[in-house]
Amino acid sequence: MSRFFATGSDSESEESSSADEITPKATGTTLTKQALLLSDEEEDTKRLVRSAKDKRFEELTNLIKTIRNAMKIRDMSKCLEEFEQLCRAFLKSKTIVDKEGVPQFYIRLLADLEDYLNQLWEDKEGKKKMNKNNAKALSTLRQKIRKYNRDFESEIANYKENPEESADDDEEKDDADSGSGSDSSDDDGEEITAKSFMKKKPAEPTPDASKFLKGAPDEESDSDDDDDEDWGSETVDSGSESEDNEGNSASLALVFLKKAPEGSRQDPDRKKEDRKKRHKKKDEAIEEEGEEEGQDEEQGWENVKRGVPMIKEKPKMFAKGTEINTAVVVKKLHEILQARGKKGTDRAAQIDLLHALAAISNENNLGEGVSVKIKFNIIASLYDYNPNLAAFMKPEMWKKCLECINELLDILIDNSNIFIGENIAEDSENLAISDQPFRVRGCVLTLIERMDEEFVKIMQNTDPHSQEYVDNLKDEGRVCAIVDRLLQYLEAKGTTEEVCRVFLRRIMHTYYKFDYKAHRRSLGLQGESKSEQDQEESEGEDSAVIMDRLCKFIYAKDRTDRIRTCAILCHIYHHALHSRWYQARDLMLMSHLQDNIQHADPPVQILYNRTMVQLGICAFRQGMIKDAHNALLDIQSSGRAKELLGQGLLMRNMQERNAEQEKIEKRRQVPFHMHINLELLECVYLVSAMLLEIPYMAAHEFDARRRMISKQFHHQLRVGERQPLLGPPESMREHVVAASKAMKMGDWRTCHSFIINEKMNCKVWDLFPEAQRVREMLVRKIQEESLRTYLFTYSSVYDSISMETLADMFQLELPTVHSIISKMIINEELMASLDQPTQTVVMHRTEPTCLQNMALQLAEKLGGLMENNERVFDLKQGVYGGYFNRDQKGGYQQKQGYQRDQKGGYQQKQNYQRGGYRSQNQGSY
Amino acid sequence: MASRKESGVSSSNTLDSPVKQIQIEGLVVLKIIKHYQEEGQGSEVVQGVLLGLVVEDRLEITNCFPFPQHTEEDADFDEVQYQMEMMRSLRHVNIDHLHVGWYQSTFYGSFVSRALLDSQFSYQHAIEESVVLIYDPIKTAQGSLSLKAYRLTPKLMEICKEKDFSAEGLKKAAVGYENMFEEVPIVIKNSHLISVLLWELEEKSTVPSKHELLSLSSSSHLEKSLQMLMDRVDDMSQDIVKFNTFSRNTSKQQQQKHQYIQRRQQENTQRQSRGEPPLPEEDISKMFKPPQPPPRMDTLLIAGQINTYCQTVKEFTSQNLGKLFMAEALQGHNS
Repeated sequence: MSRFFATGSDSESEESSSADEITPKATGTTLTKQALLLSDEEEDTKRLVRSAKDKRFEELTNLIKTIRNAMKIRDMSKCLEEFEQLCRAFLKSKTIVDKEGVPQFYIRLLADLEDYLNQLWEDKEGKKKMNKNNAKALSTLRQKIRKYNRDFESEIANYKENPEESADDDEEKDDADSGSGSDSSDDDGEEITAKSFMKKKPAEPTPDASKFLKGAPDEESDSDDDDDEDWGSETVDSGSESEDNEGNSASLALVFLKKAPEGSRQDPDRKKEDRKKRHKKKDEAIEEEGEEEGQDEEQGWENVKRGVPMIKEKPKMFAKGTEINTAVVVKKLHEILQARGKKGTDRAAQIDLLHALAAISNENNLGEGVSVKIKFNIIASLYDYNPNLAAFMKPEMWKKCLECINELLDILIDNSNIFIGENIAEDSENLAISDQPFRVRGCVLTLIERMDEEFVKIMQNTDPHSQEYVDNLKDEGRVCAIVDRLLQYLEAKGTTEEVCRVFLRRIMHTYYKFDYKAHRRSLGLQGESKSEQDQEESEGEDSAVIMDRLCKFIYAKDRTDRIRTCAILCHIYHHALHSRWYQARDLMLMSHLQDNIQHADPPVQILYNRTMVQLGICAFRQGMIKDAHNALLDIQSSGRAKELLGQGLLMRNMQERNAEQEKIEKRRQVPFHMHINLELLECVYLVSAMLLEIPYMAAHEFDARRRMISKQFHHQLRVGERQPLLGPPESMREHVVAASKAMKMGDWRTCHSFIINEKMNCKVWDLFPEAQRVREMLVRKIQEESLRTYLFTYSSVYDSISMETLADMFQLELPTVHSIISKMIINEELMASLDQPTQTVVMHRTEPTCLQNMALQLAEKLGGLMENNERVFDLKQGVYGGYFNRDQKGGYQQKQGYQRDQKGGYQQKQNYQRGGYRSQNQGSY
Repeated sequence: MASRKESGVSSSNTLDSPVKQIQIEGLVVLKIIKHYQEEGQGSEVVQGVLLGLVVEDRLEITNCFPFPQHTEEDADFDEVQYQMEMMRSLRHVNIDHLHVGWYQSTFYGSFVSRALLDSQFSYQHAIEESVVLIYDPIKTAQGSLSLKAYRLTPKLMEICKEKDFSAEGLKKAAVGYENMFEEVPIVIKNSHLISVLLWELEEKSTVPSKHELLSLSSSSHLEKSLQMLMDRVDDMSQDIVKFNTFSRNTSKQQQQKHQYIQRRQQENTQRQSRGEPPLPEEDISKMFKPPQPPPRMDTLLIAGQINTYCQTVKEFTSQNLGKLFMAEALQGHNS
């Protein structure tokens, strides 16, 4: 496996300047570059030195050929693209052109192209039929070529006068270059017809074709599509890469060959005549190929092929007459695998080859051992298909991959006599059918983990608001199913370590999903309709039970810290998500994760953050406002919640993060369907902060050393105050700020209407699974806290207040009011006593007035001033006394001591005062 | 009691200044009040120019005109130009056009500031008799007109002239917060006709005009004063801390310097005993640059301001206490 990943990117980076820019499309263009697998040695022997001129001119001719092809099929956008490339190539070969003069074939193309374009331009009908892209490309190209041709006016005029001569000239050159001019032109013609035919009915082929192909129909059509798309660029690629040019003619032929059957498949009528040609050509091709691959069995190829129509596509594998047995297949497999990772290896073709091999081995009943082995390699090649880690799989590849894995699991589960393992050496493998159980090297767990990662990557790279995302998300079920099957398989066979790993995979797919079924069951509700209920029952056990089982197994058996940590966090998350607050909290506290989470790697930290947030939200739902606030404080106070939760990157300047880091961070992002709603999170945080902070502020209005509970909340308040014109609140934050203001006045009704209304419902509250319950809790909290705030703020106005009035004002029951007030009195927050017979609160009015508070503060400040002043004295005396006069110093110190005493007295006095104040209060209860 | 003595001291200082008394026309007072009512709001300050003439040791202020309020739009407004033109125009209508000072409103008695010091210095520097009138609108609104005239003491004038605000300079000049400004007694003079008119009006008016004097609600004023006082105390603390670090640094450096000199002396004696020439004297002051002492003037001003606040608060509280006792007596009498 590792070899796979490590070497994967070689060939790619060679082709494009930077590996990052590779888009799936870019990889696509290289597909058909070389349909054959050439071994390195051959390439080396065939290398010969050519002049720069030849090289350049060949490049040009290749481009021209493509343009001509495109012209024939009226593919204007292709034409434009190629033309631009041609211009660039021509510029590159400027030195040679200066020496040799402008080559005739170039002029010819320019002239022809212009004529052709003009002709197209005139043809209004045709233009109407063209699709938008083509039409656009046409007009651009026309302008371009006009401008461009101005430089070559005389030559073109020349050419137009006697086109014959120059054409001949060119033909010769062509021949010289490609070595098989006539042949290729023949092919050319044929190809074009096939191609244009296909263009006309593009959608039709797959279903029909796939029917008479057994094996893997999808893959077949997929690869067809690929070829189809990429056909046009074939020559370009081979042109631009001069190294590969030697094999050009051969590979050209091969590609044509590959094309031909395609055309024929879609057009049964033409099949016959095509076949003739094809066979002829195939023979040629096979000859070459045979040489190249160093296999000397030549005939018999058709025999095998004929029996198995599917393999017609793959014009290689075994020679005729070879007895296909395990050893041969394995040898072939090795051969194929050897090419992997080397540059110039066509990865798509390799996958096809492996498929073909699999089919052959099935055909010949070579047993499961071989097919498992091949399957392993197919999957590995599929992963290998993408050269760098950042790119994600193409959907068709992904589908293929899922299928392969499913098949592999089928085999493994059906046949209990297959041993697989990473540590089985290559040579101790037992693939042949015998009495002994099969032994195969490979690790299905690793493959499936990789698959899971690929899935995450696909989700990361899909626009979350598109239909595509939904479609991709549907695959999650399949992924889960695979993980489940693997779990069953490994539970029977794997080591505990492997079981832990697969359990974690399972957990990772479960923990963030809300179990609606269990939720409904716990509420005692039955499904709406009978069928739904049935479905529910068939779905199996609660996710809570599963989580519990899996996590506990991991806790007990796991030896690596990381898996256990992840499992704990997921378990907590799952508990929190389902409102099992106490379990979640206890687990969190027991795990002591808060202490050492900063040593964990970033993905685990992200998971931790997610868990903490979920815990906070859970606490909020349960009405534990303080816990909710504490849990969310860390995430919210930094202002980087988005980043901390791995739900997006913050805009930052490049100094802090270079491109490399950014890529790494991007890879850490959590897929969209697992996101925690940030607005919900912030709202929960702000509302909790409001419920805590407003009464606190009211209680400590005059306290100089009052600290803030929540900085962020204060920030929001300040922002709200700075607003010059206060309209009705729009955003969630404005709502909370407005509610806070209302609460400050003890006006719970207004506060309530700001927190819970249509807008907030749809923005925030409806996102909770038990929205109604949460809202009720919230109303209650608002009433209680408003009552407290009211008492704090206005207690100085009252002599006494009846609890009934309070209960009425805040719509609370009398006992609740009683308990709240009692609590406040006990906590020394409210200087009052309860008068039981009349049910009133009697204020003691011992709270210092504003002025008194101020005076106290002033006294404190003056004390500070004094202290500072004394320090100045200390210094002065230290210096002078030390230098000049010891006696004086002593005297000073004495004096100082006196002063200190005095100060102490002052402080004592202050203490006394305070103490008196407090004791007075206490005495009053 | 002590404070009264202090103020007595400061008033005795006025003896050697050229202005011993200020006589203000009723018109000027009304104009200043009007100016604030119309232009100043809250803590904003209004300013204007006083016109008048000096008669013996008495400064008579007979007229004034306001400065326009500054806004950011007319930054290029030329104040001097405006003053000159204004004075020239007034001269045409036969009004005293001698510049004798300026007036400023204040917010809860906060006026001792660097800006005031600087402008009063420039006035007094140019026209020896200049005074600044401080008008406190809030106190006035409570029933008693608060208008005070201040001049810089000659000592402070000297210091300002030399721009020597270091601790030593201030010490040498013996300038403390108490004797930075001198208050000049004010007499408000109305023409006899106006007095007659006032008498007549008093006869006619039926509304008891002095009820504000007896208002008992005092806490808001006191709170505000305390608040400002606290702010200044905070500033003061900061300054002291600054000074503290400064003196610590100096002493540290002093020590280093001392050590250095000692080492040098030892070396020299050694060299002498060996018969070598002594090391050349280096400029020690260059090697040990004394740290920049914090400016003393600001602290002094803050102290002055604190002093003013304390005076106001004391005055206010004593008045209020009187009122409270009165009210209590009244209540006791009633019940």
